[in-house]
Amino acid sequence: MEEVKTYIPSTLKEALEIKSKVDCIALAGGSDLMVAHKRTLGLTPKFDKSVMIIRNLKELRNIYINERGECCIGSCCTSAEIAESPLCPWHLRQAASRMGAVGLRNSATIGGNIANASPKGDTPGPLYLLDARVKLSSVDGEREVPVSDFIIKFRTIDLRSDELITEIIVPLSEDDFDYIFWHKVGTRKANAISKITLSQAIKFNKDDTVGDYRVSATATGAKTNRSRDVESILIGKKITPELIEDVIKAFDAVISPRAMPEFRREATRRMIRRFLTESSKHPKDKVIDTYDGYHVTGQPEPRRK
Amino acid sequence: MDTKLTFKLNGRSVSINTDPLRRLLDVLREDFKLTGVKEGCSEGECGACSVLLNGRMVTSCIIPVGAVDGQEVMTIEGVSETEGGKLIVEAFADGGAVQCGFCIPGMVIAAYCLLKSNPEPTEDEIRLGISGNICRCTGYDLIVESIKLAAKRGEKIWKK
Ligand SMILES: Cc1cc2nc3c(=O)[nH]c(=O)nc-3n(C[C@H](O)[C@H](O)[C@H](O)COP(=O)(O)OP(=O)(O)OC[C@H]3O[C@@H](n4cnc5c(N)ncnc54)[C@H](O)[C@@H]3O)c2cc1C
Ligand code: FES
Ligand code: FES
Repeated sequence: MEEVKTYIPSTLKEALEIKSKVDCIALAGGSDLMVAHKRTLGLTPKFDKSVMIIRNLKELRNIYINERGECCIGSCCTSAEIAESPLCPWHLRQAASRMGAVGLRNSATIGGNIANASPKGDTPGPLYLLDARVKLSSVDGEREVPVSDFIIKFRTIDLRSDELITEIIVPLSEDDFDYIFWHKVGTRKANAISKITLSQAIKFNKDDTVGDYRVSATATGAKTNRSRDVESILIGKKITPELIEDVIKAFDAVISPRAMPEFRREATRRMIRRFLTESSKHPKDKVIDTYDGYHVTGQPEPRRK
Repeated sequence: MDTKLTFKLNGRSVSINTDPLRRLLDVLREDFKLTGVKEGCSEGECGACSVLLNGRMVTSCIIPVGAVDGQEVMTIEGVSETEGGKLIVEAFADGGAVQCGFCIPGMVIAAYCLLKSNPEPTEDEIRLGISGNICRCTGYDLIVESIKLAAKRGEKIWKK
């Protein structure tokens, strides 16, 4: 067996060169890897492959808006940095601000959350909703893949062994919609793994028909669920109670929750019904709340133009 | 495979030769004898091992020491020497926040981070700020009250 080594590159270029020669595990925040490889009290985690620590690579920690107006987030940006950045889209900031607790949010990175490809991961929901792409880099160049294709299935991603995720590009934001919704159902207010999380967004045409509607769900199947077919039921039509039930039924057929399926299905139905019913009344507030008016203080607000 | 790592620890520069995959927690406790950093759950859930990394709270049980090369680490031993840290420790003592004490170093670090970014937290915000710190003794109420006390007493420190 090859000797297990640890690399600590100081530039992205160096990191990609190492990746091109050595089959090694990229370690960003370490919050999934260090737990997965932990042994017992006081012992060093055991990896069967070499490890490359990328947490502090400056090139992977920027957040900026590119010339096409898309939000670009370095793969090693932490949940806390994303939650705090007014450049990041609202749905994503919500999700980032409710991952784990303070300490975790200062370690957990967005690249790690996507690469981990857990159906309970919090960032893919908003990223699917907003058509986000990942940028994958190697010494040979770059390619971009929609996040929804990059995550193939449970714990399986479209990443070559010589590649790193370098950036997450989010083309849409709350500015592209009239009403937005994000709700995480956990077992407690803070520091909870998602039971289900629903992200929704809608835009109306001038004649009150629906121009765009999107819904994505986390922890309701083997991977994050979103379906263009379901969403298209509403496009070009005025919202009616019957149409809402059609959307609910169609989305119910898309999700496949395993544990507590009836609870997860019912909560999903209610959140869709709530969002569509309320937004069709055109309230003043852009954010549609849940019934309980449930609100955690300090949550990111949508941008005001 | 040992590697030479250099970082700032409680304000001074330190170097060690060690396996970079060792947990920061173990290096702090064993190599630097900073035993205020506690090990509770070993998986990022309980907050007993909290330290500051570049001024931000992290759980040192899930951080390989190689990740702090060139960075700044502050433990409870460092925090309790600062003006704000001293004030929180006093407020915890006066407010009766401490029972067995195991969670307290992490709680003090959490309170320190909270008050630095939010000098006048609401009760909800305090509870959120310590939501990653588990205490099996106190039921949290006296810890929350003590953090309110530290906020009040330290108005000038936190707002500067
Ligand atoms: C206490 C605790 C609470 C948690 N709570 C939540 C929660 O509420 N919501 C949630 O979604 N998750 C949660 N998690 C899971 C975890 O924190 C997240 O999945 C986190 O985003 C992982 O990021 P990381 O940088 O720490 O990943 P790491 O552990 O560093 O890496 C995870 C995986 O991603 C790969 N990887 C990382 N970066 C890259 C890159 N740039 N290119 C290619 N591959 C890469 C690694 O090789 C590895 O396979 C929690 C974890 C803990 C320990
Ligand atoms: S020991 Fe690190 S969080 Fe519990
Ligand atoms: S005082 Fe005992 S764990 Fe908190």
